[in-house]
Amino acid sequence: MAAESPTASRKVVVHLRATGDAPILKQAKFKIAGSDKFGKVIEFLRRQLHRDTLFVYVNSAFSPNPDELVIDLYNNFGFDGKLVINYACSMAWG
Amino acid sequence: MRSYGFLVFAEFVYIGMVFTKKKKKKSFSYFPLWTFINTSSSSSSPSKAEFHLSLEDVYRFKNSDGVVNNNMKGEGTFSADEEDDDKYATALAVTCNQEAHVYDFHIVYSFSYRVPVLYFRGRRIDGQPLELEDIEKDLPQYALRTLRESKWTFITWEDHPYLHRPWYMLHPCGTSEWMKLLYNGEASPVKDAVIQQYLACWLSVVGQAVGLRIPLELHNKKYL
Repeated sequence: MAAESPTASRKVVVHLRATGDAPILKQAKFKIAGSDKFGKVIEFLRRQLHRDTLFVYVNSAFSPNPDELVIDLYNNFGFDGKLVINYACSMAWG
Repeated sequence: MRSYGFLVFAEFVYIGMVFTKKKKKKSFSYFPLWTFINTSSSSSSPSKAEFHLSLEDVYRFKNSDGVVNNNMKGEGTFSADEEDDDKYATALAVTCNQEAHVYDFHIVYSFSYRVPVLYFRGRRIDGQPLELEDIEKDLPQYALRTLRESKWTFITWEDHPYLHRPWYMLHPCGTSEWMKLLYNGEASPVKDAVIQQYLACWLSVVGQAVGLRIPLELHNKKYL
């Protein structure tokens, strides 16, 4: 992360919400730097859940690109001071 | 309540038209210009209408040392022209130490799966088509990982239904399942808005497998 703007350096509260049969995390809310990429959230979930195939999405509307910045997601889809991220594990097909 | 995993063809045509008519707003950082194409011959019946969405001449640059130029923040991994007049403007940006690959993307409705399907092909600047392994070298790390590990995204080599030439495509099995998942949470009270979001939502997932990005703002309901 080369140039960090003041807004990007702020911390964002991320709320990880399980859907379907995905395991629930002991700690569902945590803080992450706004300048971090969304890929870091995906990595964190993979490590916590020990699953390689995860479907991670925001706002029940789309799946963010891992290169998106957390602060950009928060500015567009944050609500009530936090960014809600849904995740589902591998599904029944394939 | 209807689940929006599937689309009927008329809905695909409708959202395709809405999607391609969206105007770039000032606050958008970038905006790829998809166009709506009708390839049906005048003699064919309306039930055989051939509509698809097209994003062509997308340039992807590679430095001579083999490092893919990924540092265009805001432009996405691919950069697409915004205005028709500028169609070839990006070509001017090619410097002599870079190798350019040109990609075409089509979104075609699948009557068997009842979902949109992404077809694509790549070529070198001299027109020579790219093999899948060349294409994979152009993709960002996360895309390769998605293709390798995710059960719902894999590339096959199929006949383009309207052009009748082999193109690469992201197989649509699974599409309706994850689309349903994406919509399951809080369905928007405005039904029309939900359908309009379908393509942006779908592209956010399939785009990750081919390194294609769309502006975040397109998912934001306040810009609808």
